[in-house]
Amino acid sequence: MTPDKQPWLRRLIVRLIEPPNLETLAPLPRIATYAALIAWSLIVLMPLYWVVITSFKVPVDVDTGPYYLPFIDFQPSLDAWHYIFVDLGNDTLRPYFNSVVVALASTTLAILIGSLAAYALVRIRFKVMLASILVFIGLLVCVIVAVAYVHLAWQLAVAVAGALFLLFLGTLSRRFRAGVGNSDIEFWIISNRIMPPVVAVLPIYIMFQQLHLLDTHVALIATYTAVNLPIVVWLTRDFFAGVPIDLEESAEMDGASKFRVFFTIALPLVRSGLVATFMLVLILAWNEYLLALFLSNANAQTMPLLVSAQNGTRGPQWWYMSVLIVIMVAPVVVIAIFLQKHIARGLLIGAVKG
Amino acid sequence: MRISLTDIHKSFGSVEVVKGLNLDVEDGEFLVLLGASGSGKTTALRMIAGLETVSAGRIAIGGRDVTDVLPKYRDLAMVFQSYALYPHKTVFANIAYPLTVRKRPRGEIEAAVKDIARQVQLDGLLERYPRQLSGGQRQRVALARAIIRRPAAFLMDEPLSNLDAKLRGHMRAELKHMQHELGITTIYVTHDQIEAMTLAHRVALLERGVLQQLDTPANIYNRPANLFVAGFIGSPPMNFLAGELVNGQFVAGAGSFGTSSRASRNAAVAGIRPEDCRVTASNEGKIVGEVYAIELIGDHTLVTCRCGAEMVTVKADKECDHRIGQAIGVSFQPKAIHLFDRGSGERVE
Amino acid sequence: MTIAVDTKSSAVTSAGFGEWLDRQSGRIMVLPAVLLILSFAVFPLIISAYLSVSRFALAPGGYRLTFVGFFNFDRLLFGAQQYHFVGTFKPFSPIGWIALVAVLAGLLFWFARYVLSGQATILGFVGRLISASVAVAVVLAMLATVFAGGFPGSFVTTLFYVVAGVLVQFLLGLGLALLCAQPIRARNWFRVIFFIPLTVTPVGIAYTFRMLADMQKGPFAPVSGWFGLGEWSWATQPWSARAIILLGDTWQWTPFMFIVLLAAIENQSRDQIEAARLDGAGGLQIFRDVTWPAIAPIAATIVLIRLIEAFKIIDLPNVLTNGGPGLATESMTLHAFIAWRTQDLGGSAAIGYILLFISTVTCVSFFNYVVRRARRYQQ
Repeated sequence: MTPDKQPWLRRLIVRLIEPPNLETLAPLPRIATYAALIAWSLIVLMPLYWVVITSFKVPVDVDTGPYYLPFIDFQPSLDAWHYIFVDLGNDTLRPYFNSVVVALASTTLAILIGSLAAYALVRIRFKVMLASILVFIGLLVCVIVAVAYVHLAWQLAVAVAGALFLLFLGTLSRRFRAGVGNSDIEFWIISNRIMPPVVAVLPIYIMFQQLHLLDTHVALIATYTAVNLPIVVWLTRDFFAGVPIDLEESAEMDGASKFRVFFTIALPLVRSGLVATFMLVLILAWNEYLLALFLSNANAQTMPLLVSAQNGTRGPQWWYMSVLIVIMVAPVVVIAIFLQKHIARGLLIGAVKG
Repeated sequence: MRISLTDIHKSFGSVEVVKGLNLDVEDGEFLVLLGASGSGKTTALRMIAGLETVSAGRIAIGGRDVTDVLPKYRDLAMVFQSYALYPHKTVFANIAYPLTVRKRPRGEIEAAVKDIARQVQLDGLLERYPRQLSGGQRQRVALARAIIRRPAAFLMDEPLSNLDAKLRGHMRAELKHMQHELGITTIYVTHDQIEAMTLAHRVALLERGVLQQLDTPANIYNRPANLFVAGFIGSPPMNFLAGELVNGQFVAGAGSFGTSSRASRNAAVAGIRPEDCRVTASNEGKIVGEVYAIELIGDHTLVTCRCGAEMVTVKADKECDHRIGQAIGVSFQPKAIHLFDRGSGERVE
Repeated sequence: MTIAVDTKSSAVTSAGFGEWLDRQSGRIMVLPAVLLILSFAVFPLIISAYLSVSRFALAPGGYRLTFVGFFNFDRLLFGAQQYHFVGTFKPFSPIGWIALVAVLAGLLFWFARYVLSGQATILGFVGRLISASVAVAVVLAMLATVFAGGFPGSFVTTLFYVVAGVLVQFLLGLGLALLCAQPIRARNWFRVIFFIPLTVTPVGIAYTFRMLADMQKGPFAPVSGWFGLGEWSWATQPWSARAIILLGDTWQWTPFMFIVLLAAIENQSRDQIEAARLDGAGGLQIFRDVTWPAIAPIAATIVLIRLIEAFKIIDLPNVLTNGGPGLATESMTLHAFIAWRTQDLGGSAAIGYILLFISTVTCVSFFNYVVRRARRYQQ
């Protein structure tokens, strides 16, 4: 039955529910859709709004009950901001500075090392012999046992094990053929993301303690780089796979080494994907809590720790905490606003192939 | 069903892609919308389907104004260039989809699908998935899905362009035969003039959103309405000579010759098809030049000559004894000359 | 025509070392990554394994590690710490029994289908056996603690966060993505706004939600007053505390599902949708027949990614409720952290390993049975 011949009630319902053409929504669905989306927007923005205005409140205003609108319900004041930035001064700036340094450095390193590895895994065929892996792990266990039980100095144990391994590589390894290929190596690198940091954090703590590197930037940067490496490899792998191989082959014919091809041809071509990955990893490093909790103390303390340290004995001092949260969140929110489209596309590509 | 487009305009933002298109397709006619990319042919097809809204103008199917009607009520079936098969459904389910959506009884669906599958030679493949089929087989599934509900008209968007050349020729013949058997109005979009000439009852040639000529293939070939049509249709393309028309006498740089017209134009173009030309000795030709290139095609030879400032291609016998650089003449019949106004491009009688 | 440049003389002459380097370039390129992962993942794992089978004690001159076998695991799963890790048991209710039987029957059926499918391999069978055993253990733990009126330990609580959280986040994200994929204006505005929660540090979210959930001073205080909840503190009830944590987690992670699903929906084949429309399909049919099959592989992948991360949850329970009331909201990572603070390194490592085991089995199972299946139609 064509629309013209139906009773008027039916036509009204159709008019409300069915769109007139494919480029617009019908009235009822349109109202419902916008309503739902606006509702969720409020849910998203409300906590952030609350934090911002709380940072402008005096303690009395916070304790006596909810005030919603600045200048109308309460008088905004810069007391909390003043305290955090001026009175606490260095105690605020140092963790902020630490966060910036650690996040930027570890992200840059992760991108560099990760994209290099991803490129190699895409373009070069690997075959790691199973035997080498087993021997390596065996030697590792021996080193640990030796250090723990026999109390051998770990430097000596590592040196001996290293020498044995190289010896093995040079001689016996040729006898065994079975190996693991590219996709297995990729899988191994990427699957490290499943490992809960809490399993690894204790030994890492001990390791840095032995190296006298606890509570330093170096410790955090190294750890964050390692932790975020799997994500970088996972995402950039697909970007490199999408670069037409002709360009690289032509450069190699002209005499460029593989490193040169990587830095001058492959990397620039995946620039936008790399930027998205950089931003994603930066956000992760900026917000990281658990590892910083274990590995840092007064010197290398990062922002998330500073925020959680505001939990005073008399209860959390919401006004100071809000200031800290605002200055922690502001930079990444700005990044998010400008780059969400790129990050989404990067994640999509990773999800399609990975 | 008859399909009529009345003064259709379509703009995307500030860019107008279809300008004042008027088209009347007869019931049972095979109409081809031909043009280069960007000519507006696909946009016109999608407007008929209802997948794009119309900026101005009306569309009618079978006398009923469907300009504001949703695609699913227009009773049209479309075959896409990418076939648009559902990868997670079997061939059977894909073909049955139009009927499944309309909630037809199961027995009816089964019978219809089996019947269609037999017609397009897909029986035996009904339980496969699209990714297990070849390009030609997928195309036939798309076709079957379009046929199964006997729509008022078929719309086809370059359905053969993803097939290799040999299969394309085979499917052309199949399509022509099938359309004749079913007698359903078909609007077919392509950029390939061979497909247009072989399949169409009438061809609508579009360029930059404007209809250049709507005519039978024979007429388009033999009496092109303007310079664009003349240059687009025909392979190798028509030769053009610039010059002046004085009372029917054409004066070009490479020579002057009489035509079957009595008109005068200051700026005119004479067009002659390669198969209407002959290579002669340089003193016997209507225009003179020298041989620029010789290509042996197999059953004929293409001799390209530089005559004055223009290149003229002549279809010669397969035994051709000319050499590059040789001075020759080109000759042709006056009635084979097509005359055009150089400014407007329009045909001059 | 002559060649302008004589290229012979400018050929690469340092063939010796340079060429060897180039040939090794593949290994050199992966070396840093491999080294980092070896040092920060493999090496710690082995040490943790060793820690988990020892008892740590402070002794004069540093520390002492004694080998105790599976004592730590035993204590967590069956011994003195069982109430903390698995939970306190109560006898099954009748519904509990029915549920258990149903789950066992379902698993048996699944096994039977696999064996009878004719494509069974030993590896596949063993894999499925592991997945099934873990599933049964999990179901037993849940039925015995939560659904029988007992108290869940950190193990069950973590699973609750994972399953409930990921489910809610996925459905919410999918719903929002579908809404946003409609022809509406300001789609990019919504995209940007919805993306923001992903960037906020979880610690910040935790404190913010604590502020918001304050029934006396938070913004919802008037609302709770209307409902007569003015004096009620959500932090003192186990389930409300867990709900608030789930709320914070959902607030943060739904955007992740949203942006990827939206990108996937926008990326689907327009031709198929148009073909379906021409054939007469309506919105729901198009979702079922075109959209869902197209986004299923991506949906499965991001659910997997979220699962991987969800097991590690610590910021929210630590900051929002400190694991409380009592142990009600403690996740496994938090439990391990607390154990570490009380010098129980062995127990901490043991918890970590169980968490690793559960995460791995769940994620690998999910990948094999769901993600692979969702991808089978990809061309």
